[in-house]
Amino acid sequence: MNRRTSPRIVWAFLGPAVLALAVIGIAPLVYAVWTSLHYFNLIDLKDVEFIGLANYASVLTSDAFWDALGRTLLLLGIVLPLQIGFGLVIALLLHQPGVGFLRTLTRLSLVLPMATTYAVVGLLGQVMFNIKYGVVNQFFGFFGAEPVNWIGDPTNAFLTVIFWDVWQWTPFVALVLLAGLTTVPGEIEEAARLETRKWWRILRHVQLPFLVPGLVAVLILRTADTLKLFDMVFTLTRGGPGAATEFISLLIERTGFRAFDQGLASAQAILLLILTIVLSQLYIRFFYREVQ
Amino acid sequence: MARRTVGPKRSLGGQILLLLAILLFCVFPFYWMVTTSLKTQVVALESPPVWIFQPTLENYREVLFEDGVGFTMINSLIVAVGTTILALGLGTPAAFALARFEFRGKKHLWFWFITNRMVSPIVLALPLFLIARSLGLLDTRISLILIYLTFNLPIVIWICTDQFRSIPRELDEAAVLEGASPFRIFRSICLPLAMPGVAVSAIFSFIFSWNELLYAIVLTRNDAKTAPAMAVSFMEGYNLPYGKIMATSTLIVIPVIIFALIASKQLVRGLTMGAVK
Amino acid sequence: MRKRTYRSVAAAVLAGALTLGLAPRAEAWSLEEAAQPYSGTTVDVIFLLRPGYEAAKQMIPEFEEKTGININITEVPYENALGQQVRDFVAGGDLDIALIDLVWIGNYAENGWIEPVSKFMDDPALHNPNFQLDDFFPLLVDAFGSWNGVTYGIPFDNYSGLLFYNECMLEEAGFDGPPETWTELLEVYAPALTGDGQHAFALQSKRNETQSADSFARMIWPFGGSFLDENFRSNLDSEGSLRGLEFRQDLMEYMPDGIVSYDHAETVNGLAQGDVAMITEWSAFYSSLANPETSKIADCLAVAPEPAGPAGRKPALGGFSLAVTSQASEKEQAAAWLFIQWITGEENAREYLDRGGVPAIEAVYEEPGVAEEYTFVPALVESWQEGVPEFRPRFAEWPEISEIVQVHGTRIMLGELTVEEGANRIGEEMEAVLEKAGYYDGEKPLAQ
Repeated sequence: MNRRTSPRIVWAFLGPAVLALAVIGIAPLVYAVWTSLHYFNLIDLKDVEFIGLANYASVLTSDAFWDALGRTLLLLGIVLPLQIGFGLVIALLLHQPGVGFLRTLTRLSLVLPMATTYAVVGLLGQVMFNIKYGVVNQFFGFFGAEPVNWIGDPTNAFLTVIFWDVWQWTPFVALVLLAGLTTVPGEIEEAARLETRKWWRILRHVQLPFLVPGLVAVLILRTADTLKLFDMVFTLTRGGPGAATEFISLLIERTGFRAFDQGLASAQAILLLILTIVLSQLYIRFFYREVQ
Repeated sequence: MARRTVGPKRSLGGQILLLLAILLFCVFPFYWMVTTSLKTQVVALESPPVWIFQPTLENYREVLFEDGVGFTMINSLIVAVGTTILALGLGTPAAFALARFEFRGKKHLWFWFITNRMVSPIVLALPLFLIARSLGLLDTRISLILIYLTFNLPIVIWICTDQFRSIPRELDEAAVLEGASPFRIFRSICLPLAMPGVAVSAIFSFIFSWNELLYAIVLTRNDAKTAPAMAVSFMEGYNLPYGKIMATSTLIVIPVIIFALIASKQLVRGLTMGAVK
Repeated sequence: MRKRTYRSVAAAVLAGALTLGLAPRAEAWSLEEAAQPYSGTTVDVIFLLRPGYEAAKQMIPEFEEKTGININITEVPYENALGQQVRDFVAGGDLDIALIDLVWIGNYAENGWIEPVSKFMDDPALHNPNFQLDDFFPLLVDAFGSWNGVTYGIPFDNYSGLLFYNECMLEEAGFDGPPETWTELLEVYAPALTGDGQHAFALQSKRNETQSADSFARMIWPFGGSFLDENFRSNLDSEGSLRGLEFRQDLMEYMPDGIVSYDHAETVNGLAQGDVAMITEWSAFYSSLANPETSKIADCLAVAPEPAGPAGRKPALGGFSLAVTSQASEKEQAAAWLFIQWITGEENAREYLDRGGVPAIEAVYEEPGVAEEYTFVPALVESWQEGVPEFRPRFAEWPEISEIVQVHGTRIMLGELTVEEGANRIGEEMEAVLEKAGYYDGEKPLAQ
């Protein structure tokens, strides 16, 4: 079937999905582009006017935007290696033989964090990391440590966000990689094992090729989701203290829904979208060339 | 067949310890959420926290019968199931087309579908609010069902495209020779074979929809309020009813956990989709 | 007593009207009759999860039974209340009553989202003759419900900042009364009351409206500072504002760690658990602090007006009014007004108080026994005699400015910015907002 399929049939299959996404996805996006080119403040709708790229100019010259973006990329740069590293260790561990029951139990427990409602993770974080009532400080207390001010201190608040993001998404990465490991044909793995006893050489030369597609999916999804990260931080720290955990999506929400400047918020959001698309394209180009 | 024994060389004892550590790491926050939900406000605010106490179901009684969390869970269920069915109905044929047909711009189309998954809901929330308003769809479940397609349809298409590709072409080529139409090939041959992928995308779609917060806050108020929106609404700075918040959280999380555990076999298998082409 | 006066006045007016041969419309104004045409109407309103709303919720069934009007309440946390309402108004939604924090009044009024009360008070069919604006504390009607001289909202959920303190702790440390001034609090009380895991003071400073209203504004005003000068330029670099912010930094030494993550709940709980000796909080917290079930120090609780600064006593002022929305249909508007008039008016003020609300009716606080039963009343009444309506500017741009104050205010407290840097930064960003809004080119009158 390498010849072109007739357009009528193609559209019969694709049409409904394309149409649905066009209406629900593109229409509001076009609207957002439109507002980004206007002074469009919800509490001052009498004065809506076309201002060209002024919103984009003020976003690009605003410290708050670059700070939030930098913070978001820093978070991504920290959590992604942690999640992939831990995820790989867990996947390899679960891939071993022996104590099958415990391994199955652990594998099942991995499902818990990734299924938890993101907003609930933040609420839970507030309860567990509270300086006074929190169980985390109680643990630290067993080792004689002073109570740590997790949510009220800028650095610690950032660490708390990292902790919960790693908690929630490492299992996802581990499961993806574990799935990848199970696709390595047994004979190949056995043959490799006869040749070398070094596990990392087997990982590098035998298993890695089977992990790459999963890793790319992880990279794309985790990058997009970190740039979108909102619910958990919103319920945990609301971007504070100061601006220590104000990631890009929290900044946009604050601009558009609390200060009501939808024009500015749309400009921020569209720049964010462009960044996300560029990053995803890069990942795909770089790792996923064989996609078609 | 011999089991694989590749990995960091470690004694079985060490492995067991590590496994237990991972298990504890994943499960402990749940344990804490559930126990906190069984505490009265006074007990919840003990410092340091107490581990042994007289549990009470009072928080559950309050959130279920006074605050109407049950109703919001029904809303969440209807929305999540509705959007999942719709996403599958629209997404599987599209995925089939992307996997099997040759046409111009296919790659771009695939990328465009996936891109929708990456759009931050904050970009679309207000325009969608205004659109929903002008259609009279504010605070209705149907609006959430439709809007959640923006992230569910890409997931379904992504996973199912890979799944359809993994089905040997010889199967449908044989059917073509017998004169079957593409619709029949899709429905009778490929779709049944693609069920694992369909199941996984359904699971993801359900979980994402069940957990969604931002659209739910912006687009609903009473009638279509979902469970996550409800949990957040207890966060009034005047009072922090930890027990109630954790009871609501537990109620929200339990169904999706049960669902995910039951389906975890498919889930893990489905995560290989990218790999098994 | 007052009520009786009104009745007799009404009777006299009625008698006059009868002798003049006018239609005796005011004669038998009754809620039931006034509401008859609107029976079955549903009124949509947003409520918060706070004691005043709990009180109102308990009373609403009586109103519904009398009138046949349904009150449909949506409960939202404060942080989402403004956004919910603005979106509803922009989209021409179904809210019939606006819930207005005093800082939202300029925004709502200028956008034409709410109706002046005169529209209903001039209508004898709707206006209960016993309901008069004079019955309310003038400061509250001005600050909560009025904009540019027009009254839109009726004060409903009313607060003043008060000093709540633990009398036992103060006595133990050798003080026989609360501090009179902020300086005294810092220099005399704070060192004596801090130590052993206990802290003299806690100032709720979380990065939301709490930071800008309860922490930042509370500190600049008593020291002679303010947000804006008469030309609407930033006044935060003035000596008074800077002194207030410096004072806040100094006082932090005597506050618990992580005070920038404290919201009302944590602060009130600090006092209730006996960890903190003094807090400045809204009057609305009295009920939970005085309740032995939620407070370990119920027996030690005492209340005073907020301490004074060099510029006098400038207690925090806050509260909510209810107004009829313009988007409501005529029927809904009438029904909404009847409800507002009923829930805020003098006739139900005592019940509202007894159920945990804080009414704005002056007379209710003069009733015998009230001051004894509710020990916060004298301090509250004193605070409402004088106060600054523009404690936080009430114009439409406040939400945007509040966001700026929230970020940099907490950063000052954390030491990421010096007081001066922070004040300048807020000043610049605030002026940029006001510039864009058109205050500097004469497009908009300088009203706050």
